Amino acid sequence: MLTARLSSNADRPTVLELRKVTCVYEKGQSAIADISLSAREGEILCLLGPSGCGKTTTLRVIAGFEPVAAGEVYLGGRLVSSPDLLMPTEARRVGMVFQEYALFPHLRVTENIAFGLHHLPADQRHAQVQTMLSMIGLTGLERRFPHELSGGQQQRVALARALAQKPVILLLDEPFSNLDPDMTGRMREDLHNLLMHTKTTAVLVTHDHDEAFAMADRIAVLNNGRIEQFDTPEAIYHTPATPFVADFVGQADFIPGLVQNGKVVTEIGEFPNQAGYQGGTKVVVMIRPDDVHIVPQEECSARILARQFRGSENLYTIGLPSGHIVHSSETSTSVYPVGTPVEIQVVATHTVLFEQPESPRGPEGP
Amino acid sequence: MYQAARQSLPLSLSLVSLATAAAICLPLLFVCSMALTADASVWSRLWNTRIPELLWNTSTLALSVSVGTLLLGVSLAWFVTRYEFPGRTVWEWALVLPLAMPTYVLAYIYTYLLGVGGPVEQAWQWVAGPEARVFSPHSFVGATLVMTLDTFPFVYLLTRAALLNFNVSYEEAARACGASRVDVWLRVTLPLLRPAIVAGLSLVILYVVSDFGAVSLLRYQTFTYAVYQQVTGRYDQAAGSVLSLLLVLFALIFLLTERWFRRRSRFYQTTGRYRTPARKTGGAFGSLLITGYLGLVLGASFGLPALLLLQWTVSATAEGTVDLRFAGFIWNSVLLSGLAASAAVLLGAPLAYLAGRWPSKLTVLCFQAAYAGYVLPGPVGALALLVLFSHLAPFWYGTILVLIFAYIVHFLPAGLQTMEPALQQVTPNLEEAARSLGLTTLGTLQKVTLPLVRGGFVAAWVLIFLQCMKELPATLLLRPVGFDTLAVRVWLEASEEYFQLAAPAALLIVVMTLPALLLLVSKDWRAA
Repeated sequence: MLTARLSSNADRPTVLELRKVTCVYEKGQSAIADISLSAREGEILCLLGPSGCGKTTTLRVIAGFEPVAAGEVYLGGRLVSSPDLLMPTEARRVGMVFQEYALFPHLRVTENIAFGLHHLPADQRHAQVQTMLSMIGLTGLERRFPHELSGGQQQRVALARALAQKPVILLLDEPFSNLDPDMTGRMREDLHNLLMHTKTTAVLVTHDHDEAFAMADRIAVLNNGRIEQFDTPEAIYHTPATPFVADFVGQADFIPGLVQNGKVVTEIGEFPNQAGYQGGTKVVVMIRPDDVHIVPQEECSARILARQFRGSENLYTIGLPSGHIVHSSETSTSVYPVGTPVEIQVVATHTVLFEQPESPRGPEGP
Repeated sequence: MYQAARQSLPLSLSLVSLATAAAICLPLLFVCSMALTADASVWSRLWNTRIPELLWNTSTLALSVSVGTLLLGVSLAWFVTRYEFPGRTVWEWALVLPLAMPTYVLAYIYTYLLGVGGPVEQAWQWVAGPEARVFSPHSFVGATLVMTLDTFPFVYLLTRAALLNFNVSYEEAARACGASRVDVWLRVTLPLLRPAIVAGLSLVILYVVSDFGAVSLLRYQTFTYAVYQQVTGRYDQAAGSVLSLLLVLFALIFLLTERWFRRRSRFYQTTGRYRTPARKTGGAFGSLLITGYLGLVLGASFGLPALLLLQWTVSATAEGTVDLRFAGFIWNSVLLSGLAASAAVLLGAPLAYLAGRWPSKLTVLCFQAAYAGYVLPGPVGALALLVLFSHLAPFWYGTILVLIFAYIVHFLPAGLQTMEPALQQVTPNLEEAARSLGLTTLGTLQKVTLPLVRGGFVAAWVLIFLQCMKELPATLLLRPVGFDTLAVRVWLEASEEYFQLAAPAALLIVVMTLPALLLLVSKDWRAA
C-alpha cells in the first residue's frame, strides 16, 4: 500500500544517484556524511530536515558548487562528482531555483529566462521564452525588471529560467520560504502540476514537512548531515525509522513501556510488540495526537491540562499520573474544560516502537 | 500656561537656517550672474583662446585618470574580496591610505621623483644608458599618474563594498544556466558592479576637475588652474567667472551621474540571505604575485612618498627648519580650521535639525541649498567670495573672516552628511517620552538630545577641521597678506622645488589627515 506511488516510476531510468557522498567544509568537520539516494525520471525528491542538517549542502553537491570528499554523484548516467572529479556546474545541465530566486536584477523578465539559451539562434530563443512565459502564466510582464515583480511572480520567473534550458534535473532550494504563507498552498499545487506536466525530475529542499508531504514522491529526512530515513511520505509519517523522524514530521508523544509476555505495557494500555523486542526491554511507544481519543470519566486519573482551539480540531494536552504528557486531537465541537479527568483510548493502525535510549528521558518526552 | 499640543516650527531657528542657506548659495549665484552678464567679447575671446584647450586638457585628464583608477580600483577590490592571502585584512585597509595624501603633496613628491636628475631618471639611465630620459612630471602623463595614484581608492572602496555585498547566488544561478566563467563575469558580475564602479568614477572625475593642488604644481592647464591664473595673474574677474561657470557645469554633470547611479544600485540587491563568495587561495606563488601587485600600488601611492617625507623632515629638522616660524604656520592652520569647523557645525545643526524634524518645502530647500558647496571647486568658491567681498564689504576683504566663510561654503556639505544621521536618531517620541517623565524642555535637550547627537557632531567637527587643514586654493587666494598655513607653505616651497623645506609641513598634514580617513572608512566615507 505504501509503495503504490513508487510503482509507476519503478521502470523509469535513474536520473540522479548519490553513492555514500561525504562533503567536508572545514578540516575534520563533515557537513554531510554517507549520503546515498537516487531519483528516477520524473520523480520529485524532497530533502527534509531542520536548518543546518546538510540538506542545502546536498543540493549544492548535486549542482556542483561543492566538491565531495568521498563517494560519487551520477547525473543522467554520467559520473559528475567524485573526490578526484568535479564537473563544473555549467556543464551539468542542472536547473536551479534559489531560495531568494537570484533573478538577475539588471535584466528584464525575458532576458532572465533567455539567459541560459545563449547558444540558440534568436528566433528559437524567442519561441522558447514565449513558451515558458505562457507556461508560468506571466505573458504581458516580459518587459518588467525583477524588482517590479511580486514574490510569487519572481519565483515563477526563476522557475522558467531554470526550466528553459531543459535541464536533466531541477534543483529547488526552499522555493516557498520567501512567500506569503497564505500563498504557499496554491503555489505548491501550481508547482506540483507544472513538474508533473513537464515530467521534470526534481530535488526540493525544505524544512517544512507539510510541503514535503504535498510535493514529494520520496522524502529523505536528514539530521546532522546524515540520512535518517529515505522513503515515501506515507511511510515516513506512519512508520518513522527513528525518534527524530517521528518527531520532525508531525506532532508525536513518546510513552515509555516495558516488553512483557510479547506485549508492550504502558500506562495508557498495551501495544503489540511489532518489532519483536525481548521481554524486559525498555521501549518507548510513539503516539500521534490523531491516534488518541479521550472520553471524560470521573474515576480516571489522567487530566486535561490545556486545550488549544485550532479551528478544524481541538488539541488537548493530557497529563498522565506519571507526569508524562500525551496529546489528543478531537473534533472541533468536543469542548471539555481544563481539569476534566479523561479516559485515554489509543487507536493506531501501526505501533511504532523505539528502544529506550540509555539516558533516561524526562517526563516531557524527547 | 499650557503649550500647544504640537510644537510649532521654531521661528528663530528657521531664520538662522534660511540665512545660512542663502549665504552659502550666494557665491554660486554670484559667479553665475557674473559669467552670464559678462561682456560678449570676454566670451568670444576666451572661446577663441583658452576654452578649447582647457576643455580638451580637463576632459582628457579626467578620461585617462578614469581609465587608470578603473583598472587599479576594480582589480584591487577583486583581489582583496575574492582571494585569501597572508595579511589580507591589513591590505584591505591600507589601500585607502592614499586618500590621506593631498594631491599637492603627491604631486610635489613626483616632481622630485620624475624630475631631471631625479631618482627615477638615474635608475633608468643606469639601465638604458646615459642619454635616456623619463617622461616629465610636468605633462599629461605626469598629471595622470599623480591623480590616478591619489584617487583610485574611491573606485576601490565602492567596488569593494559592492563585492562584499554581492550575492554569490547570482553567479551560481548563471553557472547553473550553463554560462562559463568568462560569461559569468561579463554578463552578470560586471553589470551588477557597474553602478558602484560608475559612482566611484564620477567621484574621481569630480575630484580631478576640481583639483587645484596637483595640476598647479605640475603646471598642467585645466579649468581650476586657469581660474586661479585669471584671478592672480591677470586680475580678470569676468574671464575667471566665465571659466568658473563652465567648470561648475562640468562638475555638476558628474555629481548628478554619481547620485543617479547610487540610487539605481539600490534595486540591485534583493532581499533574502546572502551567501558570501568563497575566497580562493592562490597558493604561495599566487599570494606572492598578489602581494607584489598590492605592494607596488600602495608603495607608489603612499609608502614611498611617506618615507621620503619622513626622511626629508628628519634632515630638515636637523638643519633647523622647524623653528618658531614653523610653529606659527601650525597655529595659523589650527586657528583657521578650528574656527571654521566650529562655525560650520553651529550653522549646520539648525539646517539638519529643521529638515529632519519639520520637513517642509522651505526647510528641505535650505538643507539642499547648503550642498551647493559641493559643485564649487576651491578656486571658484574663492574667486566668488573675493569678488563678492570686494564689492559688498571691502572692509572685510583680506581678513580671515572671508577665508572662514569660504571654508564653511566648501566643507559644510561634508559636515551635514555626518550630522544628519545623528539628528535622525532623535525622534520626537524620545523627546516626548522625556517630557512625559517630567523633564523640562531644557532638561530634555541636556539629558536626551545632546548626548544622542554629540558623537555625530564631534565627528562632523573633526572632519571639517581636518579638511580645512589641508585646503589649498581658497587659502592661497583669500588669506590675509603674510598669513601662511601649512598647506600654503607646502605649495609655495614645492613650486620652487625646495623639496626638503616643504617636507615637515606636508608630513604634518598627512599625519593629521589620517584620523579623518579612519572616520571616513569606518562610517560614511563619502562624507570626506
